[in-house]
Amino acid sequence: MGTTLALAPLVSVTAGALAALLLEAFLRRKGSEIPALPAVASLLAAGAFAVLAWGDVPPVLFGGRLVLDPPAVLLTGLLAVLGVFVVLMSLRYAGRRGLDLGQLCGLLLLAVAGAMIMVSSPDWLAVFLGLEVLSVACYALTGLERNDPASSEAAAKYFLMGSFAGAFFVFGLALLYGAAGSLELTAALRSVPGGPSLAPAAVIGLALILTAFFFKIAIAPFHMWAPDVYEGAPTPVTAFLTIAPKAAGLAVLFRVLRPLLEQEAAADMFAPALSVAAVLTMFAGNLAALRQKSVKRMLAYSSIAHSGYLLVAVVAGDGPGLVFYLAAYLFMNAGAFGVLIALAGDGTERPSLEDLAGLGRRDPWLAAALAAFLFSLAGFPPSAGFLAKFYVFGAAVREGHLLLAVAGVVASLVSVAYYLRVVVVMYMKDGETGIDAERDDPALYLVVFLCLFGVVQLGIWPGNLLTVIRLAFN
Amino acid sequence: MTALTQDLPLLSLVAFLPLAGAVLLVFMPAGSVRAIRAAALAVSLLTFALTLLLFAGFDGGSGLPEFVERASWLGRGMDYHVGVDGISLFLVLLAAFLTPLALLSSWRAVEERVKEFSVFMLLLQTGMIGVFVSLNLFLFYVFWEAMLVPMYFLIGIWGGRRRVYATTKFVLFTMFGSLLMLVAIFVLHAAHFRATGTYSLTIADLAAVPFAPGAETWLFLAFGLAFAIKVPLFPLHTWLPDAHVEAPTAGSVLLAAVLLKMGAYGFLRLGLPLFPGAAAAFSPALSVLAVAGIVYGGLMALVQKDMKSLVAYSSVSHMGLVMLAVFSLNFEATEGALYQMLNHGLSTGALFLAVGILYERTHTRLIADYGGAAARMPVFAGLFLVSMLSSAGLPGLNGFVGEVLCFFGAFAANKTLGILSVSTAVLSAAYLLWLFRRVMHGPLKDPGDGRLHDLGARELACLVPIVVLIVYMGLFPGTFLRKMDAAVSRYLESLRRTSAASLVLTAPAPTGPAPGLPGGTEL
Repeated sequence: MGTTLALAPLVSVTAGALAALLLEAFLRRKGSEIPALPAVASLLAAGAFAVLAWGDVPPVLFGGRLVLDPPAVLLTGLLAVLGVFVVLMSLRYAGRRGLDLGQLCGLLLLAVAGAMIMVSSPDWLAVFLGLEVLSVACYALTGLERNDPASSEAAAKYFLMGSFAGAFFVFGLALLYGAAGSLELTAALRSVPGGPSLAPAAVIGLALILTAFFFKIAIAPFHMWAPDVYEGAPTPVTAFLTIAPKAAGLAVLFRVLRPLLEQEAAADMFAPALSVAAVLTMFAGNLAALRQKSVKRMLAYSSIAHSGYLLVAVVAGDGPGLVFYLAAYLFMNAGAFGVLIALAGDGTERPSLEDLAGLGRRDPWLAAALAAFLFSLAGFPPSAGFLAKFYVFGAAVREGHLLLAVAGVVASLVSVAYYLRVVVVMYMKDGETGIDAERDDPALYLVVFLCLFGVVQLGIWPGNLLTVIRLAFN
Repeated sequence: MTALTQDLPLLSLVAFLPLAGAVLLVFMPAGSVRAIRAAALAVSLLTFALTLLLFAGFDGGSGLPEFVERASWLGRGMDYHVGVDGISLFLVLLAAFLTPLALLSSWRAVEERVKEFSVFMLLLQTGMIGVFVSLNLFLFYVFWEAMLVPMYFLIGIWGGRRRVYATTKFVLFTMFGSLLMLVAIFVLHAAHFRATGTYSLTIADLAAVPFAPGAETWLFLAFGLAFAIKVPLFPLHTWLPDAHVEAPTAGSVLLAAVLLKMGAYGFLRLGLPLFPGAAAAFSPALSVLAVAGIVYGGLMALVQKDMKSLVAYSSVSHMGLVMLAVFSLNFEATEGALYQMLNHGLSTGALFLAVGILYERTHTRLIADYGGAAARMPVFAGLFLVSMLSSAGLPGLNGFVGEVLCFFGAFAANKTLGILSVSTAVLSAAYLLWLFRRVMHGPLKDPGDGRLHDLGARELACLVPIVVLIVYMGLFPGTFLRKMDAAVSRYLESLRRTSAASLVLTAPAPTGPAPGLPGGTEL
């Protein structure tokens, strides 16, 4: 074993992807749920391998291109959990909407593999490789529903924007390589040892790479594509898109920016820009979400706002806070989209607010679950969302970014208004015309239940996870 | 008693029994309405019984928190740390006393979704008690915010016609204040770490952290805004009439009787002791706002057409007096403020219950729709009158004791404001007795109307305990005040000591020493 453990999660997920695709091709019966089996198994195996790789001496492969250090283990685990959730959410959904489950699982696992490469490599080129694997798989996933014009439009938009971002990335990478002579993530820092500032080419290169990442994780002002894509994609894919690229992208940003922001000259240059981007993102997402009528689109904007909060963790250099926020966000966001999938049972892929009227009466458990996820997203205690915000904004204040924290809580207040509007509609308005939830979907309900459990547990008793996260960053 | 209380984590039981009850109720079938009501009532009564144990076992001689429980929870100073002292004990009792009555009062008024209603009421009770027993700032904030959720649903689902507007306004107003408080908590957390090298959010530890005067002012304002909105202090009161008028009776009772007290309690527990320098500097200005609230609330109450909004504005006026007393920073005033908080909880709770009883019979709250009701409801008229007179501060009832203490203290701090504050007695007598005359006396509005029957056993069980307590607290205030004494002196001492300490610590700052206590605050 030893160092090959670094590769094991990747191999496992890729093998799962191929198995799912092949099963789909060779199975006689259409609409079978069998391709999900190897998908879930390989994701669980990947998670298990990642846990095995945990240790003081992280397994290293390919001359240091692939390092499964403890933070990477944590993120790999999170990605595996997310992958399992998405597969389970799609089981019946794919059948109902006429999607190929094998294709969905295969692409999903490839995307997960891409994200795993991103979180476990200290090398720009490998990161780029991971990012492109993730992105290409995501473009295809977005357009999976070929009969739905919104889905195709979303895929086209996503592809065009993503390609631009990729070009920015490569150009920035060229400049950076020229300036630093190395492709290591933190190489730019060493380009001028002890010098007063970075080389100009390195600065421009880094700025371009940041821009590319901001595109990918939907940070304002590069977020314009995100609402259409998130709304147009099939809902389980949306759940994946709002979480996985953000988790991977922010993990890379954190690796790059943390040492950068510790240098005074670089911090003077990048910290204000990042802070402004974070504030813009929080407000752009939340203010736009206020005006939405479609719940799915509202959640899309809300996920943009959450990118902003997550960026605050990066600016504050708070690694544990970032990972904890991602874990909390995984549960509450996947849970909220899970409820939307349950509601999409009778073909209402994009329910409007009115469609939810009286849900609290018709389906009290599902409504209660959605309310819990929304309260958590809004940051009410004692939920995971509250604790996550508490850590992140607390770290921001500790590092002297007081105004950033103030902007964050004011943005949260704005978000309370639209999250509560959904709750108002569910519980305080009666509607006979509202949609009914799909009941015959045990896997989906398992996911919703697990998410609910995660939201409550991480909010009240996150003991073990918290300890592990803190250990990982020490 | 001590042996018993040593073994039991009594305070945690009191705080979390309602939560356990709520979880239990969630799994009861929604159809068995009677069983759900009975279970909710039983849980809240059991909680009240436990708080009586708390009361009996409470010594109060040292002024330090008793029944302290402490356990590490999330690390970095975010511990589970609860306890009660003379300041919080009675507020816990008040919350535990009124919840069963509020539940009982809703047996007729709430017929729909009884299960959810009972669950939210019990969750609210846990939140209220939790706020008062927390000795850790993080825990305090968790309860403070978490409590918004059940109240939001109580107003939003079982409220009146404009309930959605009212409940959204309530939540957004309150959250605006408390989120800025959250940032201030982060600053405190970081400041304590910087000063001592360890993380702590224990309130007593934070009081020892020195600040520069500028920082202290901002922190005080952030905390103060959260509490002032909750009280509510004029001119931040606009959410209150809306929330009260739209809330169901049980919600109004707990909102007025307990939730408003959290604001005043916040000032006593956090706002003033943590930032004594800034508190002393801002007290005169805040006192003026408090007096403005007294007069404004009283005048507004005079012109209300709706009984519930009349009682709501009377709350603004009475809480103004409480806040004036809090900002007077002397012994009589502080003890008066505490006592008046209890009085206001009881009398306003009773008034809202009474309005609810009338509303259940006639489905109108407009004063003009009533007249001569006393003829049909003599027992009710008597109880209603006692509650009103308590609110108006009639000697012999509890309101008198509290108001007199507040007036004494306010006079000692500032003569002009003290004189102006007495208007609360005049105004409240005017609007309450005028209300009583219009509703209960005069010719019967609709003699053929058979709806105005006198109180049933359940309604008596709601009102009589409060009225008995109103009389008892008026005749034997010592039972209660003696348990507060030590904690109040300790609190005032800590105000002076820490403000003296911050004088020393901030002396090297170029801006000069922070202002000390103003002249008129000698004990």
